[in-house]
Amino acid sequence: MMNDIKARGSSEPLAPPSRNVLGYLLRLGGLAIVDAFAVWFLYVLLRDGVWPIAIPVALIVILVNIVNLNERLAAMRWQIPAVSIILLIVVFPIAFTIYSSFTNYSSGHILSKQQVINQLEGRLYLPEGGPTFAWAAYRNPDGEFGLWLVDEAGNKFWALPDAPIEEAGAVSEDIGPVDDDGYPTRVGEYRRLTGGDLFRSLEALNGVRFGEGDEAVQIRNTRQAATLQPRYQYDPERDAIIDQLEGTVYFGNEERGYFISEEGQNLLPGYQVMIGTRNYERLFTSPAFRGPFIRIFLWTIAFALLSVVTTFALGLLLAMAFNDPLLPGRKLIRSLLIIPYTLPGIIGVLIWRGMLNPFVGVLATTSQSIFGWFPPFLTDPFWVKVGILLVNLWLGYPYMMLISSGALQSIPEDIYDAAAVDGANAWQRFWNITLPLLLVSVGPLLIASFVFNFNNFTVIFGYNEGRPPIAGSPTPAGHSDILISYTYRIAFEGGRGSDYAYAAAVTVVIFAIVAILTLIQFRFTRQWEEVSESV
Amino acid sequence: MKPQKTWLAILLLLFASFALMACAGGADNAGETPAEEIEEEPATAPTVEEEPVEEMTEEPVEEPTEEMTEEATEEEEATEEADDGAVVRDPEADLVIWADETRAPVLQGVADMFEEEFGVVVAVQQVDFGEIRNQVGIAGPAGEGPDIFVGAHDWLGELVANGTVAEMDLTGIEDQFEPSALEAFTYNGILYGMPYATENIAFFCNPDIVETMPATWDDVLALSEELAPQGITGWTIETNDPYHWFPQITAFGGYVFGVTEEGYDATDVGLDSEGAIAAAEWLGQMVEAGFVQPGMDRNTRLALYNNGDLACFNGGPWDLPDLRDAGTPYMVGPFPAGTAGPGEPFLGVQGFMISPFSEDPLLAQAFLTDFVATEDVMFQLYEAGGRPPAFLPALERVEDEDLQAFAEVGANARPMPAIPEMSAVWSAWGNAQELIIGGELEPAEAMMEAAQQIRDAISAANE
Amino acid sequence: MSDARTMPGSEQARVRVRMGRRTGSISRRRRLGLILRLLVAAVAIVFALFPVLWVISASFNPTGNLATQQLIPRNPSTINYQNLLTNPLSPFGSWLLNSLKVSVLTSVLGVISIMLSAYSFSRFRFQGRRQLLLGLLLVQVFPTLLMFVAIFYLFQQLGNYIPFLGLNQHAPLILTYLGTQMGIQIWLMKGFFDSIPRDIDESALVDGATHWQIFWQLIFPLARPMVVIVGLLVFIASYNEFVLASVLLKDVNQYTLMVGLYLFVSDAFTQNWGIFAAGALLGSLPVVIIYLALQDQIVGGLTAGAVKG
Repeated sequence: MMNDIKARGSSEPLAPPSRNVLGYLLRLGGLAIVDAFAVWFLYVLLRDGVWPIAIPVALIVILVNIVNLNERLAAMRWQIPAVSIILLIVVFPIAFTIYSSFTNYSSGHILSKQQVINQLEGRLYLPEGGPTFAWAAYRNPDGEFGLWLVDEAGNKFWALPDAPIEEAGAVSEDIGPVDDDGYPTRVGEYRRLTGGDLFRSLEALNGVRFGEGDEAVQIRNTRQAATLQPRYQYDPERDAIIDQLEGTVYFGNEERGYFISEEGQNLLPGYQVMIGTRNYERLFTSPAFRGPFIRIFLWTIAFALLSVVTTFALGLLLAMAFNDPLLPGRKLIRSLLIIPYTLPGIIGVLIWRGMLNPFVGVLATTSQSIFGWFPPFLTDPFWVKVGILLVNLWLGYPYMMLISSGALQSIPEDIYDAAAVDGANAWQRFWNITLPLLLVSVGPLLIASFVFNFNNFTVIFGYNEGRPPIAGSPTPAGHSDILISYTYRIAFEGGRGSDYAYAAAVTVVIFAIVAILTLIQFRFTRQWEEVSESV
Repeated sequence: MKPQKTWLAILLLLFASFALMACAGGADNAGETPAEEIEEEPATAPTVEEEPVEEMTEEPVEEPTEEMTEEATEEEEATEEADDGAVVRDPEADLVIWADETRAPVLQGVADMFEEEFGVVVAVQQVDFGEIRNQVGIAGPAGEGPDIFVGAHDWLGELVANGTVAEMDLTGIEDQFEPSALEAFTYNGILYGMPYATENIAFFCNPDIVETMPATWDDVLALSEELAPQGITGWTIETNDPYHWFPQITAFGGYVFGVTEEGYDATDVGLDSEGAIAAAEWLGQMVEAGFVQPGMDRNTRLALYNNGDLACFNGGPWDLPDLRDAGTPYMVGPFPAGTAGPGEPFLGVQGFMISPFSEDPLLAQAFLTDFVATEDVMFQLYEAGGRPPAFLPALERVEDEDLQAFAEVGANARPMPAIPEMSAVWSAWGNAQELIIGGELEPAEAMMEAAQQIRDAISAANE
Repeated sequence: MSDARTMPGSEQARVRVRMGRRTGSISRRRRLGLILRLLVAAVAIVFALFPVLWVISASFNPTGNLATQQLIPRNPSTINYQNLLTNPLSPFGSWLLNSLKVSVLTSVLGVISIMLSAYSFSRFRFQGRRQLLLGLLLVQVFPTLLMFVAIFYLFQQLGNYIPFLGLNQHAPLILTYLGTQMGIQIWLMKGFFDSIPRDIDESALVDGATHWQIFWQLIFPLARPMVVIVGLLVFIASYNEFVLASVLLKDVNQYTLMVGLYLFVSDAFTQNWGIFAAGALLGSLPVVIIYLALQDQIVGGLTAGAVKG
């Protein structure tokens, strides 16, 4: 009993939600609980300095509170589940990506400055001529460690943390009987650690300085202990790292994200810094941008557009063909036709890629034996595009068939009868009645399909990684590359490994482009007016 | 209209705060130490996500409370352990190792023995080989990374630049490893890994078709001409695979990066050198004659060979199972020679590395040097992976003739450059190869274009 | 005249019926149409299913080389299926269960949230409504390729405080799928709600019902066909997703099906297409079964005039 035409005209908003005392109390109760949790959670987050998570959480909680307490915003309460999730899962990463595009987050710059300092200061080295010892570890009942050292000459020593190293002979403690490998089993209350005990204690023994000052010895590996020195020292006043071994001073450089010496030597690893709009500048001024960019951009639009048009055309055709309930086996036919949609996309692409292989693919060999020729679907710049569209058609038409089916059946027959009476033929009926009515309902889905294919990395990359290559391009680019696969390559196969920050900048630009295109399409299909009609 | 403006203001505020938050997040990272402190306080309420839904459904308030208590107990039981028992970084493990699916079972055996004998818990996590490379950079600094991970030597450039690999100390056992393998894992003069396997490609021919393996690349050309009337391709190569193409290039004197005392020199790109161009022109001849055709990939190449339609190809130890299963006869030998001598392939070395974010580097070191660097374990790794061991005692035990042949060719192999600039090379180089094979560009032109693309990419990245 | 009214269907059929009545050749025209349509069906089915037959064939092919097999494999064997189901390093059963768990939960939670949101957009007028609608669409448009770093960071942090939201759990995956899929579905659902006349709501309001009651007791039953469709779309999208799942899940036992399958072909040198094909087929079964089981509902629901702007 859905008489849609009548409903479509009505544009009066409903009365706002009414007050319901029990519901109100329950809502207040729930709100109180949410607030209690939020207070705890935010406290913990802020205490640990996890700002990026604290802020969206706080915002969500504030929104929830506002919306529940303000009666005028009662309608918004229904939006809470969806909008909170989207805020957390989508808006946060978008903000993160935008932020990253202003940094130099890439290979060689993934740690923060403090992390780099920590790591550098943790590096040790053995000064020239420094003594090395074989060692055995001991532990007393209080859990304190001691080290028995034997140097290269065979002299034996006993070392405790922060106490002078004693020669074996001078040790006051009572030394127990000697083991097979020449180490005493016990020194005073200290018992020797072996096997599992030793291995479990390694974590605690790491970095412990046995002995005093410059003489102190550290365990280096299972065979050696030595007087290790920290190689690098950070001087906060000058913001510099000093190499103790060679004396070079590296100054922190916030523009480049490295500690750099006066001769221009970069100290690895580098760290993350904000670099402002440099990624964008690079994008717009680099030869990569001007080179194949326009061509790839045009193909991306063409690919998305053609994908939508072809899948919709085929889907609609099939939907119309099998709309008749008297058609025998209709249900079976429909079920079979939907199957490509149920296979995961990447699998479909790979199967087609195999079938189109010019040497051993089944389609190629069959075609060769019948026609003596087979289009070079994987190697020719034109045919590669045809091939991709073909694969995308196969993957996408069932979805279009599904939605067209439903949309078709919701068009009332009276219209057709009236048109037939007026003498309209089948084609006129289709073009002037069916299609427009269809587009109204599936319009947003077509736009969504366009957007999906604009960024359809899977199909492009799975088919042929964007190849065959474009000759004469300043950066590697392929004839079947779309913006996003091209971006991926620039970012992750650039001159220095992965450049996430740069990829982020390009992503933002792509997003801007697609957003604009989407808005334009919206106006074009008058969806916007549709919405405003029912507003 | 005022209310409209308030909404716009709120939305703007939202976005501004997110941007601010992200900034603060970036700055804040500086304050975090690699080892994350895990909170032990119990959660007192369900998650933010669930709350609103519960509000909406007007369900009795009791439900949230129940969840609260449930969560509290769960929290207290095991801070980092997840509900389903699967862990990211098992806090109860003393050592965490990331290994790919081929190596993981062997290491698990060692880990089990280690735990039994010493009571030290070693957790082996199976991670896809490629994923290990990506994830150590993300998980490591975040405290979720492994102590030990397996990897390839050419990752070093990136890992060292990122500070995600620690020095390896093999004092006392260095002489038990293949010197070229140790060299491959040395970067800027420092050793960063303990190698366990080497890999390189060699030249394959079908003894049923070819009596003796061609000695020079000109012989290969002649062979192809001879076999063409029979419908057999003498030699072909993947369309976009510089790794497999390399030995033919080196045979003519080509190279990818020049070598100095300190290792590979990124300013000396060799793809448009005389030798490389000569090699490309040879390939161009094969293309013109129709022997090498576009659209070739590894699977197709193997299929052709197994069908008896291909006489020779450049292949690796990973091709052996395929050939053996199909029962096609094969010979493995050195590469044909060009004007500069026999072709030399790339050498790839796989090994174990230690993370600088490990809390127990001594234990990690000990585990590797004392328990993995043994003949038995190294031999098991060889059996699992099918690659010649880099550990000499294990290498001596290998009886597979084919692998010995690979090792022989590998003696002259050139370690793949580990410098980060290498990532700019593959695409450009592969594209040049594809353009030559597709007949779109003259060989010299293609190589010069590729070399220029690489130089541009490197200089752009180093600005 | 009764024929025309009681036979809903394409306009072609109707026209032919009319013309047929006039000229007396009903059956021939109809038969021609039927034959034509069956031809179309045959061609379409071959197009649709040929690659699928290929996958089936690959799954029974013991040598596992994708490029070279024939339609009927040379030595058919079930070894791929055996390897798939019995290998402890690749727990197919767990993967399947994980995928189902994640997809079903996403579907259920998603449908509820979507309906609430769409109903609000359709029935209420509040400040910022148009902006919010547009915003939902625009965030959907953001390329998700790079989102994974942020998402990884988000759940890695959250996991420190709320364990089941941490890495390697399924809850973050569910949340992520919800976040990335709800935008467009809200639009779809809103369009559908718009087609349900407001009179129903208004008369119930007059009777003193709350919006909540109207929603659950009146509108929701009417929306059932759309619920099924949206649920199915969300299910399929979650089930087939691979990239984000591989970022968030680290332990083999936690993998969803797609991530697990990828293991078989990820290492370029030990690809096993046979097992991959077997896994892909078995893995697609749930979706196929669900679609077939719900087919009547879907089609029936759509017939009742559901999808309408």
